[in-house]
Amino acid sequence: MQTILSNILAIYRKELQSYFASPLAYTVAGVFWLIAGIFFAGILFGEQGLIGQAASSDLRAQQFGFSPFPIDMPYTFLQFFLGTLGSLVLFILPVLSMGLYAEERKRGTLELLATSPITNWMVAIGKLLGVVTFFMTMLLPLLIYEAIVFNASNPPFNFTTVLVAHLGLLLLAAAILSLGMFVSSLTDSTILAAIFTFALILLLWGIDLVAKSVGGVMGKALGHLSLLKHYTNLVQGVLDVSSLVLFASYIILGVFLTAQSIEALRFQRT
Amino acid sequence: MIDVEHLSKRYGATAAIEDVTFQVAPGEILGFLGPNGAGKTTTMRILAGYLPASAGTARVAGYEVHEQSMAVRQRIGYLPENPPLYPEMTVAGFLNFVAQIKGVNAGDRPQRIQSAIDRCGLTEKRQSLIRKLSKGYRQRVGIAQAIVHDPPVIILDEPTVGLDPRQIIEVRNLIKQLAGNHTVILSTHILPEVSMTCSRVAIINQGRIVATNTPDSLTHQLTQGSGYELEVEGDWDTIQRSLQSLTGVRSVVAVPTDLPEHHYKVRVAAADVSLSGRALANAIVAADLGLHELRRVQASLEEVFLQLTTTEQPLEPTEPTNSGSPANHGAAAQPASDPSASVAEVDPDANSDQPSSGAIG
Repeated sequence: MQTILSNILAIYRKELQSYFASPLAYTVAGVFWLIAGIFFAGILFGEQGLIGQAASSDLRAQQFGFSPFPIDMPYTFLQFFLGTLGSLVLFILPVLSMGLYAEERKRGTLELLATSPITNWMVAIGKLLGVVTFFMTMLLPLLIYEAIVFNASNPPFNFTTVLVAHLGLLLLAAAILSLGMFVSSLTDSTILAAIFTFALILLLWGIDLVAKSVGGVMGKALGHLSLLKHYTNLVQGVLDVSSLVLFASYIILGVFLTAQSIEALRFQRT
Repeated sequence: MIDVEHLSKRYGATAAIEDVTFQVAPGEILGFLGPNGAGKTTTMRILAGYLPASAGTARVAGYEVHEQSMAVRQRIGYLPENPPLYPEMTVAGFLNFVAQIKGVNAGDRPQRIQSAIDRCGLTEKRQSLIRKLSKGYRQRVGIAQAIVHDPPVIILDEPTVGLDPRQIIEVRNLIKQLAGNHTVILSTHILPEVSMTCSRVAIINQGRIVATNTPDSLTHQLTQGSGYELEVEGDWDTIQRSLQSLTGVRSVVAVPTDLPEHHYKVRVAAADVSLSGRALANAIVAADLGLHELRRVQASLEEVFLQLTTTEQPLEPTEPTNSGSPANHGAAAQPASDPSASVAEVDPDANSDQPSSGAIG
C-alpha cells in the first residue's frame, strides 16, 4: 500500500513539475485567464451586464412607482459565469490532457515506465491527479475575482451554492481530463489526441440534444450521459447524487480505459 | 541469471528473431553483437518485458519476463535504444524520479543517486536540465537511470552510441566495474567494444544466434589463427594450383584490386599452423611467378563477425577462384570456408592491429 501511494506520488510530482516547466501550459493558462477575465467583466459591467440590468430595472421601478423586481445578483452571476467557464474549459482541457501519454510515447519514456515496477493504474491515477491539480491552480486567480465580487454583493451570497457550483466545475474538468488522458494513450501524436478529445467531449457535452431526437428508452439513457445537463445541475446548486455518480463514472472510466490501453500495448506492441 | 530459450518474435510474416537461445551466468557480461536490424533491440526489449515474444521463454533471475513481469521489472535496469529522458527535468531530479518508481527506499535514495551520478561522470551536470545536455551526456544519464536502483541484472542497448572516444572508454570501464556484482547484457555493433568489455559474446544475424563464445576463442575457433596476403605476378591458374597444393592451406582467394593485369592480390587462409611464409615463397619461386609482397595477417574478431554475418555474395574477383560456398550461418562450429566473404568490406590493414573503433554496418 505504501509503495502504491509513493509510486502514485512520484508520477504526480513528475507530471505537475512538467506542467510548471512547460511553456505550452503557461500559454494555455494565459489564454484561459484572458478569456475568463473578459467573460467576467462582460457579465458584470458590460452593456447588457448584470449590474447595468439591475440598475435599469431599479430605475424603471422608481419611474413607474412599483417595488423593484428582486434579482438574486450573486446567484445569477454564478450561473452566467460558471456556465461560460464550463464551455470555455471544453476548449482548454483537451490541450492540457493531449500530452499525458502521447508525449511519453513519442519520447520513448513509456519504455521506462513500462519496464519499471509500477502498474499502469498508478501511472494513470498519478497523471490524472497531476493535471487536475494544474487545472485547479489555473482556477485560483478567478476565485480571487469572485471572492471580491461576492463580498460586495447584495443580497449576501450563499456559500454552499457557490461551493457546489465550483465542485461541479472541478468534476467536469476531471471527467474531461480523464477521458482526454485515455484518448492521449491511444496515439503518439499530441495534435490528434487534442482533436479527438475535443470531438469526444463535444459529443458528450450536448448528447442530450441528440438523445431527444432518438427518443424512447435509448434516448433517455443517452440523455443521462450529458455533461452539460449534469454540470448545469451542479452550477444551479443542486447537489444531485446522479450528477456526482455520472462525473465519478467518467473519471473512473477514463482511468480504467487508459490502464487497459497501455496494458494492451504490452501484448500487441509492434 | 538470464535464461533465454528458443525465443522468437514475428511481425506478421517477417521474423525479427528466430529460435534465439543463450544463457548469461551471474556476474557475467554478455555482448550481443550483430549488424543493425539483426534483432538485438527486439531481444533486449523482450528481456525487459516491454515486448511479448511470439514463442519461447525468457527468464530473468528465474522469473518469466512476460508472465511475471513485475518480479522481473524489480530486478532489471534497462537502457533502451533511445534513452528515456524527460527533457524538462534536471539530471538529479530525473534520477530521483527513476529511483522512486524503481522502488528505492527514501532513505537510500540520495546515496544511490549520488553513486549513479559519480559512476557516470555526471557530477558537473547534476543540476542541469536534461534538455540542455549534449547527446553524450544524455546517453550517460540513460546509463545512470539503468543503474540507479542497483539492479542485479542490467540490460544496455547500445550503451556507447553518441559518445566521444574518451567517454566510450569511460563507459566501457564503468561496464567492466559492474561485472561481478551485476549481470550485464549489452548490445553493440562495435566489435572492439565486445572484445574489451565482455566476458562472452553472442553474435546474432538476421534474427538468429550464429555463435556464442568468449571473444578470444571465437576468433581462434573460426579462423584458426592466421593467413597470408601476397601480391603475385603471373597466370592465375598457375598461382592457384601451386599454392593450393601446399600443406596447411585452407583456401586461396583473389582479392579484387586495381592492380595491373596479371598482378593478383592473393589471400591464403591457413588451415593449421603448418603453413609457413617460407613454403609459400618457395612455391611461388618454384612456379616461376613474381612475388611482390608477402605478409602475415592476423584474423580479427571483425573478420569473424563478417564471416558469420555476411550472406550476400561479395564482389566477385576478376578471375574465377576456388572459393567455396559463401559463409553460412551454421559456421559457428566448423571453420568458415570462405574468407573472401569479408574481403569486400574490410580493409586488410585493419587486420594487422586492433582498430580503435571499427564500426560495421
